[in-house]
Amino acid sequence: MDLVRDLEALAEGARLSIASASDDRALEELRVRFLGKKGEISAVLRGMGQLAAEERPRVGEVANRVRDEVESLLVLARQRIEDARLEQELRGSRIDVTLPGRRLLPRGHRHPVTRTTEEIVAIFARLGYEVASGPEIELDWYNFEALNIPADHPARDMQDTFYVDGAAIGRPEGEGAVLLRTHTSPIQIRAMKRAGSPPIRVVAPGRVYRSDYDQTHTPMFHQVEGICVGPAITFADLKGTLAAFARAFFGAGTRTRVRPSYFPFVEPGAEVDVSCSICGGSGSRSGARCGTCKGSGWLEVLGSGMVHPKVLENVGFDPAAVTGFAFGMGVERMAMLKYGIADLRLFYENDLRFLEQF
Amino acid sequence: MRISLSWLAAYVPLPPAEELARRLTAVGLEVEAVERVGAALDGVVAARILSSERHPGAEKLAVCQVEAGDGPVQVVCGATNWKVGDVVPLATPGTRMPAGHRIDRASLRGVDSHGMLCSAKELALSEDASGLLILPGDAVPGTPLARVLGIEDVVLEVNVTPNRPDALSHLGIAREVAAATGAAVAYPDARLRQQAPPASASLRVSIEAPDRCYRYAARVVEGVRIGPSPAWLRQRLEACGVRSISNVVDATNFVLLERGQPLHAFDLDKVAGAEIVVRMARVGEKMVTLDGVERTLSPDDLVIADRDRASALAGVMGGGDSEISPGTTRVLIESAWFEPTGVRRTARRHALHTEASHRFERGVDPEGVVAALDRCAAMVAELSGGKVLRGAVDVHPHRRRPVDVVLHWARPGEILGMPVSRKEARIALLALGFELRASGAKNGKFRVPSWRLDVTREEDLVEEIVRLRGYDAIPETLPSIVSDTPALPLAAQIIERTRLALEGAGFSEAVNFSFVAPGDLTPLGPGNGRTGIPLRNPISADLAVMRSSLVPSLLKVLAYNRRQRVEDARLYEIASTYHPRGEGAVDDAPALEELHLSGVATGRRHPVGWSAGGDSIDFHDVKGALEAVLETLGVEGVRFVPGGGTWLHPRSAATMEWTAPDGGVVPLGVVGEIHPRVAAAFDLSRGVLAFDLSLEALNRAARLLTGHAGVPRFPAVLRDLAVVVANEVEARSVLDGVRAEPLVEDVTLFDVYKGAPIPDGKKNLAMAIRYRAADRTLTDSEADGAHARIVERLKGELGAELRG
Repeated sequence: MDLVRDLEALAEGARLSIASASDDRALEELRVRFLGKKGEISAVLRGMGQLAAEERPRVGEVANRVRDEVESLLVLARQRIEDARLEQELRGSRIDVTLPGRRLLPRGHRHPVTRTTEEIVAIFARLGYEVASGPEIELDWYNFEALNIPADHPARDMQDTFYVDGAAIGRPEGEGAVLLRTHTSPIQIRAMKRAGSPPIRVVAPGRVYRSDYDQTHTPMFHQVEGICVGPAITFADLKGTLAAFARAFFGAGTRTRVRPSYFPFVEPGAEVDVSCSICGGSGSRSGARCGTCKGSGWLEVLGSGMVHPKVLENVGFDPAAVTGFAFGMGVERMAMLKYGIADLRLFYENDLRFLEQF
Repeated sequence: MRISLSWLAAYVPLPPAEELARRLTAVGLEVEAVERVGAALDGVVAARILSSERHPGAEKLAVCQVEAGDGPVQVVCGATNWKVGDVVPLATPGTRMPAGHRIDRASLRGVDSHGMLCSAKELALSEDASGLLILPGDAVPGTPLARVLGIEDVVLEVNVTPNRPDALSHLGIAREVAAATGAAVAYPDARLRQQAPPASASLRVSIEAPDRCYRYAARVVEGVRIGPSPAWLRQRLEACGVRSISNVVDATNFVLLERGQPLHAFDLDKVAGAEIVVRMARVGEKMVTLDGVERTLSPDDLVIADRDRASALAGVMGGGDSEISPGTTRVLIESAWFEPTGVRRTARRHALHTEASHRFERGVDPEGVVAALDRCAAMVAELSGGKVLRGAVDVHPHRRRPVDVVLHWARPGEILGMPVSRKEARIALLALGFELRASGAKNGKFRVPSWRLDVTREEDLVEEIVRLRGYDAIPETLPSIVSDTPALPLAAQIIERTRLALEGAGFSEAVNFSFVAPGDLTPLGPGNGRTGIPLRNPISADLAVMRSSLVPSLLKVLAYNRRQRVEDARLYEIASTYHPRGEGAVDDAPALEELHLSGVATGRRHPVGWSAGGDSIDFHDVKGALEAVLETLGVEGVRFVPGGGTWLHPRSAATMEWTAPDGGVVPLGVVGEIHPRVAAAFDLSRGVLAFDLSLEALNRAARLLTGHAGVPRFPAVLRDLAVVVANEVEARSVLDGVRAEPLVEDVTLFDVYKGAPIPDGKKNLAMAIRYRAADRTLTDSEADGAHARIVERLKGELGAELRG
């Protein structure tokens, strides 16, 4: 019966020492001490050989119980120590969440002219327009003649033109003047000729050039041109389309106003104004006159009109059977109005401190 | 065009100025500004001098009590040309003087002065500074000076588009106002009194170039006394921005501004042979124009000549020889119709833009030529005391046929998208001066008024109808076209993906002018003979050549940013480069335009932060950015071949070559460090990286829709490999040697090391290799076998040694 008493004493000792163990190492030592091959329980069990056969089951039962208890105590103790350690870690000193985030690279930025062009084109793409382009070094015929602007026509004064020497590009004399396109309108002509027959809906962004350089003009700037030709296209369609565009670009509350104007390649021609994006069309801003619309409440943003029958004839369309409208706008102006950019020069300085704001 | 409302009101009843401006803008005559003439005199009023006494502290100053409408006020005055009782201008406190300063209540040597009595010069009315401007004695004290002087007026700045020369005059605008308001135009009466002998006795006119001069009419006024114009005439001209010269010249300008018909007055005694010949200039012929410039004429210039020589550039500018002078007594007045494109060519050739050429090149009213002549002759006679000789000498070789245009009653509705009744159409056109010549059930025939040279076809009539009715009336609808929804063109998708990849790699977009200085392109070297395309009329030497490369512009932007102390810069541009056309051009674009993607980078690899950063960006950073572009475009099989062209550093540059599926090698572009000499030419220090890719080549190589290969089913075996090779051995050949083993799924080069204990001239490459078979779990011995084969291959082919 000594063995049973020994086991009970051993269990009591294990309970005390496990309860007072404070780290994993102490626990491991206790495990080895009690449960190891050369441990105390094993030592007790080795003494069982001297017992009478009828006592062995009872002692064995006690020994198993004690071993199970010690094992459980060790598991619990490990958990206790682990919890305490985690508790301590969770209560430890915080990281500095205010240190700046780590970035391998700052993001690159898209030029506002490109952003604005993309916004404009995307709106017309949603309306079913195809994107087209054309050459910037252009023939006089596409830039002027086909658009109902003959040579020696005063409308040519509206656009100061850069010319290229035909000889410099290996072009024989007498094949018509070569110039930098003064507007994106020649793309209308190319798109209609390429399509061959209506209907056609095309939007065409691009660089254009005019010999003018001051506070409000740069010799190169950007336009977006649009044209829609088909059976029974009306001036009302033009108004509706450009009103929809203005709302999509400047915001849902934007109003449009259309008034007569003159561009040789449209008839009737129209200038489109939108309610001022800065003052909301009131003409005043915090009591003072709105500087953007000069107090009028309106901003001139678009030239447009019904495609002139001569233009349709020039591309081989029958003006009796089809009608259409065309429009054009300056991208820099749209960008200035949308982003509140006051100085045109900023677009072409490419100062990163400017570009990084977009 | 400046339109004086006090003048305009003589022809048509006017609504208030702002309302008038709105109405004119609504019919297509955009009013750009409404200017109050005399606004510069705001605050200056008539004041009667009631009494004066000498200033107690200053001998030359007087202290006056003046009545300026609100009871006597005290003003100190230094002038002496007045007497008590005179009415003079008083600038009241708060007035901003033309010279810019403000008049305030002040104390002059201890005496209060409530404003300033002014001379004409102080008010910028004339050069007379001799004393106070003495006003008419009946002027009521307190009346604004502008009203006292009769210069109170409102001037509209009207933007007249080139198609509307008929609106380049007060009567022209009056016609539009009448049409818009329903009022009638009161045409002025010429009141011409003629006297014998007939003008034809003292003047002969012949037209030798009838294609350039459709009509030439002239009158003679004798007994003329040249002198200043009366105030009312001077004020009208000045309100319109025309300087008063003399009574005769002012009369011609008055009629020009009234009717839009340019006129010219000659001193008939200086017209040799009393003969006018309208002819083409002779080769080498010279004349001095009114601006004092001697001009060599072109045989394409039309001139008004006398018996001996050219005395005016027809429709553009008169000549000095026959100019009206103070001694002129016999005046020849010319009123003509010159062919517009010819006038325009002459005006441009001689860089002259005059009131006359502006109107002639747009087209004046062919039926208004003689009426304007008569009006002018009558005015000259009235203003100068002369007499108008009987009859006009009127040579009219080219008679104009009236223009009739048929309007289908349904057409306005078809074009405008709203119903327009026959009656509405008719009313609008009649109001604008059109005549209905015939009317049927389907259409009507309208005669176009002679002054509307721009109206020639049905659509023009539709515009007339709708502009009078107002564009506001048109509804807003959307086109009813149903068509395919076109996808964004592939080229545009490629550009978009490229931008996103570059933005991810820290590149911002620059947009530069397409033209550069020729010298900007030369540092890049010959570049296959591509030197850009020079402009014939550049705006400046800096912007003279259409660029053949985007790189110089970007280098300049880099230098600009560096001057702004922006040291870390990564920039790209996507734009056309311009080249002469080669053989086999397909479309009819006159030049070759190639879309390029170029970029530059300098500064640090990563922004300096609290945990890392500071190393400079190098070749492999930019290569990595380009690899990201290639990856997003699905471009596979690109080799970076050493050497990248003359403008890149020979040791640190590569050409990107893509092998097409057919085996052909397509160069995509180059990348590398800028050649030190190129960097110096652009004021840049070393360490600037750049690339230049052809978007057309990228378009060929791109595969935006890629397949996929599923997920591996069997585990991989990982092995590291370190080999030592000679420095000259390219990493690519080592990696290719590894990849040649079929069981290799992937290899990552994770270290390149030179230095002890690696022998000089050699480098150690450390790689992580992943082996995998698609159909089974690899055994260790299979992987070992593959690894051994790689080692053998690298030893054999590259002289590599295994590093233990």
